[in-house]
Amino acid sequence: MKGFTHFISGIAVASFFPQAVHMASQEQSFILCLGGIFGIMPDTLDFKFAKYFHKSDFEIRPDPNNLDARVIAETVANAIRKAEKEGRGTVQLHTMQLGSNLWRSYTLAFDSATSEVVVDIGPEVDTGQVPFEGTELKDPEKAHARVKVESQFFQQFDKKSQIAIMTGPCFEFVKRDEGKIEIVFLPWHRTWSHSFTLGMLIALLVGIFTFFTVPEGPNPELYTIPRWLLYPLIILFGSMVHIIEDSTGFMGNNLFYPFTKDRTNGLGLMSAAEAIPNFLFVWTSIICILYNLDRFRWAPGDTPPGIENPASYFFWFYVIPLAVMAYFFFKGKKAKEAKEKGRPADFDGATSVERETDASVI
Amino acid sequence: MAILESLLNPAYLDLFYFTALGVLFSCLISFLPALHIYNVIGIFLLVILKFEATMAPMQLIALCIGMIVGYSILNTVPATYFGPGDESMSYYILPSAAWVAKGRGFESILLTGVGAVGGIIMLAVLAPAFLWFMPGLKTITSPHMFWILGTVIAYMILSEWPKGISQSESCWENFLEGWKFLGVGIATFLLSGLLGFIVMSKTLVPIEFAFQSITPVFVGLFAIPWLITNIINIGQIPKQHDPESIELDWGLVCRGTFGGFLGGFFAAYVPIVTAGVGGLMAGHATAQRDGRLFVMSYGTCKTVYYVGSFLLFFIPGLSLTRGGLAWIVTPVVSVLTLKEYALFVALMLFAAGMAYMMLAPFTRMCIWIVEKIAYFWVSVIALIIVIPAVFVFTSWGGLAIMTVATGIGLLPVMFQARRMNLMGVLLLPVCINMAGYGNDVMRFLGLI
Repeated sequence: MKGFTHFISGIAVASFFPQAVHMASQEQSFILCLGGIFGIMPDTLDFKFAKYFHKSDFEIRPDPNNLDARVIAETVANAIRKAEKEGRGTVQLHTMQLGSNLWRSYTLAFDSATSEVVVDIGPEVDTGQVPFEGTELKDPEKAHARVKVESQFFQQFDKKSQIAIMTGPCFEFVKRDEGKIEIVFLPWHRTWSHSFTLGMLIALLVGIFTFFTVPEGPNPELYTIPRWLLYPLIILFGSMVHIIEDSTGFMGNNLFYPFTKDRTNGLGLMSAAEAIPNFLFVWTSIICILYNLDRFRWAPGDTPPGIENPASYFFWFYVIPLAVMAYFFFKGKKAKEAKEKGRPADFDGATSVERETDASVI
Repeated sequence: MAILESLLNPAYLDLFYFTALGVLFSCLISFLPALHIYNVIGIFLLVILKFEATMAPMQLIALCIGMIVGYSILNTVPATYFGPGDESMSYYILPSAAWVAKGRGFESILLTGVGAVGGIIMLAVLAPAFLWFMPGLKTITSPHMFWILGTVIAYMILSEWPKGISQSESCWENFLEGWKFLGVGIATFLLSGLLGFIVMSKTLVPIEFAFQSITPVFVGLFAIPWLITNIINIGQIPKQHDPESIELDWGLVCRGTFGGFLGGFFAAYVPIVTAGVGGLMAGHATAQRDGRLFVMSYGTCKTVYYVGSFLLFFIPGLSLTRGGLAWIVTPVVSVLTLKEYALFVALMLFAAGMAYMMLAPFTRMCIWIVEKIAYFWVSVIALIIVIPAVFVFTSWGGLAIMTVATGIGLLPVMFQARRMNLMGVLLLPVCINMAGYGNDVMRFLGLI
């Protein structure tokens, strides 16, 4: 899911605490922002910290002056062979920057039907990934390579990865019980940072701190939760909603790190980059936030409500938009399925590349 | 029916005349390089037209509608070719610069024009619905605006991802390279916020030009760094293609308009938030990826932001003053009824149609200029106009503020961080003040 989706979902979760809404409206507290901050925190930890400290067994830094797809494919294959022998192997692919706004692109794919690593050297592109015509390699031997490995491998989806601008992707190969090699995209992503255990640990530490530092606020008799407990709960639920949302996609999370070793697969209901699912979560959050701010308004007896009829509010602002979104989502899905029906995965053609490495998406 | 009869009354033809005049003026205004619209309109109305003596209130409003609608649609053209005047423009300007560099500037401008007209149509369609739900929205959100601004700030900072491309074997080297960009972004936000506190509490601008006190800040933060970059980096822009048609389908138009409308409406409704910030958030909320979608959605966002904030002011009984133009007309507007609201919508549609018709010739004219005169000289001339203009309206104090702001404005340019962080100049002090901590911060800074 997009960072914004997680962020606003975190705020929505925080708005379910009446005391937090009262603190915001009566005491000028920014406590509701805390939900948003911890909603986006797991991705912040991954993309701003974890990715820099992940060490790979193999690093691929292609030489732009001596391009050879086979060298790249062989290195990736070596990482797979290492996994076959030792259980795990990782490879980091780097980009090739040729100028301030010029890059040489290449793609990597894993053809599980033939157990081959497929690499294609692509054209030069600008930072917007727009290719420059005529910059493709002329020598087909150097531009395209397929390297066979002994082991069978499998992955979540058969998509090419494009390595073009900024930072390239990292892959981990893990030998599973049945002897097959699983291909794990971005092995440093959605592991410890996307676990319930980390959320609970942070909440615990914050809870200890707030227990000793946050005094009881005015009108404690109105609330079932003491004020000091509000902060860790918002943090916990904010980060949990991120993990739950991510679980609806393909990649999944490592839910109970360090007790569980690997990422579990997601439910595969939607892709992180899809517009409608992202907007569905955003819109649901907005509707919840407005409803909660209204029903938890201070002195409801003296202040008129903003939402006079909740049933009408939910019907016009949620049910109707939901129906519209569902219509377009399933229509798009159907059209996509019809387009892809019977078409085998094309690793060698100049198809669009769909695996996502953009931090703002995943 | 009564509203329709009112609208068809020939007595209102003068309003259409003033709206048309406003659109024509907006061409002129948007041509002034790198100046913020509200300041320019302020000068225009107060100093040049001396409107109070010559116009009836509704005529002034019609003129303003023409100017703001025309500006919101037409200013894309000079901004694309000569540089952005404010943050709302600079959000769009980097992608549009890429289109210009490929000779497709005209196409990008037409796409923003389609988006802008789509935004105006959405505003008109939803105008009756605003009467129904805006009072409730205002009741709910009024006590919460400060933390909503706080979340905008938090998201702006947290959603900037590292851009480092270091491929060193040392993790720390890569980490520092990546964080260099993030660090600059945060520093830019804090420094511009600090500047905002200083300007708002102890401005150097002479009191008689107090209404222009923010002009040197915006010129320094957004306009001059852009012009300097152009002078240093760009030689001549490539020949611009004049397309016979643009590649668009209804799906793209609907998605772009919808996403842009959300961002523009958010920016129009929440004080201080600009189209750039709103566009960023809406773009992420609707997971926009296509380049054409971005450009078109930006056109919608910007127009809905500028025009929508003015429209909100006219919703009867709502008293929602957002955006500089609403503040400018406040003294001349006594009572707002459904009739004025309906007139606003009609004039807005008329102005949008007229501005859209002018978009293509206006773009051709700008292209003609940049093709005849080297881009370097266009930027130099813009710089030569801007600096004396700031001096005329804000004196030496304004120039001093502009110089400091330029230094801060150059930070994101040099380190390729987000220019949006410069909006800290308004977001930070206003958010802190709304939350009631403004005096504490200013006392801490020694400003009071």
